Amino acid sequence: MAEFARAESAGGRAFGRLIVYGLLVLVAIYYLMPLFVMLTTSVKSLEEIRAGNLVALPTSITFDAWSKAWGTACTGADCSGLKGNFWASMSFVLPAVVISTLIGAFNGYVLTLWRFKGSDILFTTMLVGCFIPFQVVLLPMAQTLGWLGLANTTPGLVFVHVVYGLAFTTLFFRNFYVSVPEEMVKAARIDGAGFFTIFWRIILPLSPPIIVVCVIWQFTQIWNDFLFGVVFSGGERQPITVALNNLVNTSTGVKEYNVDMAAAIIAALPTLFVYVVAGKYFVRGLTAGSVKG
Amino acid sequence: MGALSIRNVVKRYGSVTILKSINLEVRDGEFVILVGPSGCGKSTLLNMIAGLDTVSEGEIAIGGRVVNNLPPKDRDIAMVFQSYALYPTMNVRENILFGLRIRKATAQEMEGALARVAKTLQMEHLLDRKPSQLSGGQRQRVAMGRALARDPALFLFDEPLSNLDAKLRVDMRTEIKLLHDRVKTTIVYVTHDQIEAMTLGDRIVVMKEGEVRQVGTPQEVYDDPADLFVAGFIGSPSMNFIRCTVESRNGRLGVSLHDGAGTFFVPAPPSITGLGERAGKEVILGIRPEQITDKDPYAGANPHSIEQSARIEVVQPTGPDTLVLIRLNGTPVTCRVHPGASPKASQTMGLSFDLSKLVFFDPQTEKRIR
Repeated sequence: MAEFARAESAGGRAFGRLIVYGLLVLVAIYYLMPLFVMLTTSVKSLEEIRAGNLVALPTSITFDAWSKAWGTACTGADCSGLKGNFWASMSFVLPAVVISTLIGAFNGYVLTLWRFKGSDILFTTMLVGCFIPFQVVLLPMAQTLGWLGLANTTPGLVFVHVVYGLAFTTLFFRNFYVSVPEEMVKAARIDGAGFFTIFWRIILPLSPPIIVVCVIWQFTQIWNDFLFGVVFSGGERQPITVALNNLVNTSTGVKEYNVDMAAAIIAALPTLFVYVVAGKYFVRGLTAGSVKG
Repeated sequence: MGALSIRNVVKRYGSVTILKSINLEVRDGEFVILVGPSGCGKSTLLNMIAGLDTVSEGEIAIGGRVVNNLPPKDRDIAMVFQSYALYPTMNVRENILFGLRIRKATAQEMEGALARVAKTLQMEHLLDRKPSQLSGGQRQRVAMGRALARDPALFLFDEPLSNLDAKLRVDMRTEIKLLHDRVKTTIVYVTHDQIEAMTLGDRIVVMKEGEVRQVGTPQEVYDDPADLFVAGFIGSPSMNFIRCTVESRNGRLGVSLHDGAGTFFVPAPPSITGLGERAGKEVILGIRPEQITDKDPYAGANPHSIEQSARIEVVQPTGPDTLVLIRLNGTPVTCRVHPGASPKASQTMGLSFDLSKLVFFDPQTEKRIR
């Protein structure tokens, strides 16, 4: 029986491989096609776009659309491109990512290594936060920001994203720290280290894999967010996602596809950058703890 | 300075009582083992001594100072854990010195401690490695080094050898014993392994279900168990327990055993006066495997032994001894015979029963009958 199965698999292996790789290549092409079209279109001139084929390679490469998207394109009434919005996005995304990651790490530390009565219930309650849609919290959040005096400010947007991200970051760190032996904390307590010393000197140095996962996740979420950005940010300090929308939907004048494409790529670049730089840790972090290190 | 007193200590979790009034005095420099099956409360007791768990009732004193309300770091203790619990991001040197650094020791003190510890445990060459680059035995040694560095009044060991393989465990056992001889610090050592308990301890504390069943030197606990549980828990292979009825023959009290072929009378040592009032009643006879051996043709007549043939059911050679299973009163009984006797299963073999160390237990209370 086993003999038979082996003989069959040896013969069918090459064919099976072919099918698998064929499918993978097909799917990869399918996914890369839009990016290809965006890239080529963004370096074409408008005449060529009107005349040519959507998937054709550009005959001459020009970066005029890129500089226009960055510096002079009109988003609504304002014609200074995306650069202001790019830095506006950075100004709230970076602090929101850092703060939500740090608080998540701290929450995870407390919920796993300093369990108290009801800590599991608290964690479950926090988990529910992962399932609440953005739209549900818009009104109560607007009211809260009003009370706090943070409406239409960058700190307000940071606050919104930190609060919304905490459920996820806490989940990440909690599940990572579950595999940390409690005895390590006991040993540190006997060595004389206190609550915060143990966190800073022992637990946080253990955490780079999960910090990377958390940063990738939070950065992508917050950078790509549109709804909170459009609702809770003031006019000129609008995030890049909102500006991109305005740029593409501006109805006056000629439709400049090359500028739209360049702007979209500019808006997507930071998340791509984060993936490329930290991506190799991503998978490692997601499976961390499953293998004895 | 390193004496430990545990007085009427109780531990409760909600309505569940884990430890029921524990009393224990450990002298300075003594090596005491807490041993018992899992769930007997030995680790809880150790955690309470360490200050990692609170005391519900009673008092714990280290070096004459009541420490109930002191945090672990102020109790002048050090602890070695089963999982080693080394700090994975620090190298061996940093692991050993972490406690001193937290306590803001001077560079000179730290250097001295490191040199002393590294020399004691012979690990000068490991100091710059990370825990992940060490073998299990080396990790355990680093964990002990971390405990040694602060030169505490009391060492606590929580099943430190359970994660090691069998051979390494024997080596580390010797190393811990040598270490204790060198540093002479009081040690409280938790294990579920009765061999570790026997070989390491000055005194053994046998625990079960949150109670101390017996405290004594390894030999006392082995030869003179307080009850059925201790008798069965200490010793490997464990003591044989045979249900039988007390009777009187020719003016001597004893019990009758039958091995399927016939019945023979086993007289009890006369010192066990408690049997007198139990004539005709059921008791449990305890006899260790090494007390039933093959006949030694060169030994003179031993007044404390009787000889009896029995049918062999199973033969288990262990190398130095061969274990032989016979059946007495319907119970399988392990005997330890010389391998030279080369017994075979289903043969009949002449066995010599050493009666001087027979013990008897009450089947209801499971206490020793003395």
